[in-house]
Amino acid sequence: MRHILIIDDEDDIREVAALSLEATAGWDITTASSGADGIRAAADPKQRPHAILMDVMMPGMDGPTTFRQMQQNPEIATIPVLLLTAKVQGVDQRRFAGLGVAGVLFKPFDPLTLASQISEALGWKD
Amino acid sequence: MTALPSIFLVLLLLSVFLLGFHTLRQSSRTRDLQHEIDQLKESLRRSREYAEQQRAKLAQRSDLDTVKDEFISTVSHELRTPLTSIRGALGLLSAGLLGNVDAKAQNLLRIASTNTERLIRLINDILDLERMESGRAPLKLRRCSMYDLAREAVDTMTTMADGAGIRLELVCNAPRDSIYFDADSDRILQVLTNLLSNAIKFSPAASTVSVQIDSDANSLLLKVVDQGRGIPADKLESVFDRFQQVESSDASKKGGTGLGLAICRSIIQQHGGAIWAQANQHGTGTTLWVQLSRSARASDTGAASLAALPAERGEGLILVCDDDPGIRVVVAEQLRQHGYDILEAGSGEEVIALANEQTAQAAHGRGTGEHAPVPAISAILLDLYMPGLSGWETLQRLKESPATAAIPVVILSVIPPTDHPSRTGGPQGWVQKPFNENLLLAELGRVLRTHGGPGRILLVEEDPELAQAILEGFHQAALRVDHASSLRQAVDLCLAATPNLMILDLTLPDGDGFSLVDWLRRQPALHSLPLVVYSSREISEAEMAKLRLGPTEFLDKAKIKPRDVEALVLAMVQRMRNPAESPVSPVA
Repeated sequence: MRHILIIDDEDDIREVAALSLEATAGWDITTASSGADGIRAAADPKQRPHAILMDVMMPGMDGPTTFRQMQQNPEIATIPVLLLTAKVQGVDQRRFAGLGVAGVLFKPFDPLTLASQISEALGWKD
Repeated sequence: MTALPSIFLVLLLLSVFLLGFHTLRQSSRTRDLQHEIDQLKESLRRSREYAEQQRAKLAQRSDLDTVKDEFISTVSHELRTPLTSIRGALGLLSAGLLGNVDAKAQNLLRIASTNTERLIRLINDILDLERMESGRAPLKLRRCSMYDLAREAVDTMTTMADGAGIRLELVCNAPRDSIYFDADSDRILQVLTNLLSNAIKFSPAASTVSVQIDSDANSLLLKVVDQGRGIPADKLESVFDRFQQVESSDASKKGGTGLGLAICRSIIQQHGGAIWAQANQHGTGTTLWVQLSRSARASDTGAASLAALPAERGEGLILVCDDDPGIRVVVAEQLRQHGYDILEAGSGEEVIALANEQTAQAAHGRGTGEHAPVPAISAILLDLYMPGLSGWETLQRLKESPATAAIPVVILSVIPPTDHPSRTGGPQGWVQKPFNENLLLAELGRVLRTHGGPGRILLVEEDPELAQAILEGFHQAALRVDHASSLRQAVDLCLAATPNLMILDLTLPDGDGFSLVDWLRRQPALHSLPLVVYSSREISEAEMAKLRLGPTEFLDKAKIKPRDVEALVLAMVQRMRNPAESPVSPVA
């Protein structure tokens, strides 16, 4: 079974995204409300996720900063990260592309196809 | 023997006298020079001050752009964040993934869902339009096939058409290899799918929506023809305005945002083309026309792909002014290779001197005919930021002097075209550095075609006999008169070469004069084109306001005979050429 870690500071979005992935794909979901919590959750060997879905704009450490810190930690550097963003301007997209993340998904996402978008971005066949 | 001392004496007196005279002249010369130096110092100070002001303004504007970008990005983010939760929650509920809901609740969920989708589309469309109209979405031009794009659009929309029971057909009346043009394919595809989506939405089941492609020497034409309920005559233009739907309930019934056609128009305009709607002559329904030039225009920002275009050859004497000798050499070499003759100047002062000298010699040469004629300057390429006289000041002085006011000036600058502070008339063209060679040649070519040589008049008249009668009136005048018998042909001729004046009949076989004026108004090079409306129909005050471009005259066909049109037009041309006391030295 796939296990996804969702990092977003908005409670409602965490809940909707988690519900959508559980209901449409049957994946296991863990959530974290900040970059720092997210890094702790990802590094926990008992619940190491297959992929991380992370918001870009968060108070404290934002998505890109959290991603860079994850890259410094050999335990979690290999987990693919997808950014989930409400910033759709061309400039923003180019900035994210240069980070080295596995992909960028846009808000507002369609709850019925979010799981298949993630699978497609990560090349998951099942 | 006694003569010798007296000769010495005379010589002595003479030298004393000459020396005194020389000293006297010297001191008056010194005064003149001092005066000149003071004047130069003063003008140097003023140009420095001016350059400083311009730099400050420029910095201010770029700050403002950053603030605006940031604001739009933030607003967009702030709107999308709550929408994400709403869309997610509603989507999951209405899909029944969390258990079944009863029919009434299901219906309410459906309403909430569709309206959420509509709000998302609206936000996307507003941002799209904003980006385009602020010039922050430059076109990525490449060579495209109109057929391939239309095919792709039709394929994309087939599912929607099938759902509505509508047949889509694609007809290509032009040879497939003749319909290549320079375009941003994603943007054109966006236009085509939007037009198809509209056509499908407003068509009855079991009808056909037809996409037709035609081409001629200069442009490509695409039509989307539907058999729907049609657009009332008074709305044929306003449907392209923001939030203007034919019926106010359309937005909620058809799920549109009211911005689709405004976006289409914006995209087509950015490509230098035209888009308009026309009621079908037979049966019901509407035809949407899109006309695009084969080659991208110099006003396009996506300069990189222009490299693929064949550069145009030119002729004439071009005065190139830049304080950077490196740039002068490059520009001069590029222009020489394309048939131009070059004069170089390293400062504004030098440009003014050279332009005056050359113009005087050219005028003199013409008069006597003894020597090989000295060519007049066809155009001046002018840098803006130069030590000494700035480009703006140089431009102003050139335009103030009767000898040089008629020479078209093309600004060559790192800053984008901006409003000029001069009251004496702005530059005729603009090329932004770093420039692409073809862009420079295209802009120079455009300026020379528009501002040099004899005037060019475009006659737009449906009736061939009447057109003939008007054309005959112009037989004697040293003017070139082109004739277009349809809206499409008129746009085509305008794209091929900018006219100096248009004579317009309001009734045209494929649209009306109002659509043409509307299109002209949105073209940077044509929005103040002098216009003579020559029509047999009564024109109301409100209509007159809609038809006004530059200087505009209204002639009633019932009162003014075709051959008398000439006199009035010539008078207008005369006024255009000599706006005040400006010189009559047409550039050869």
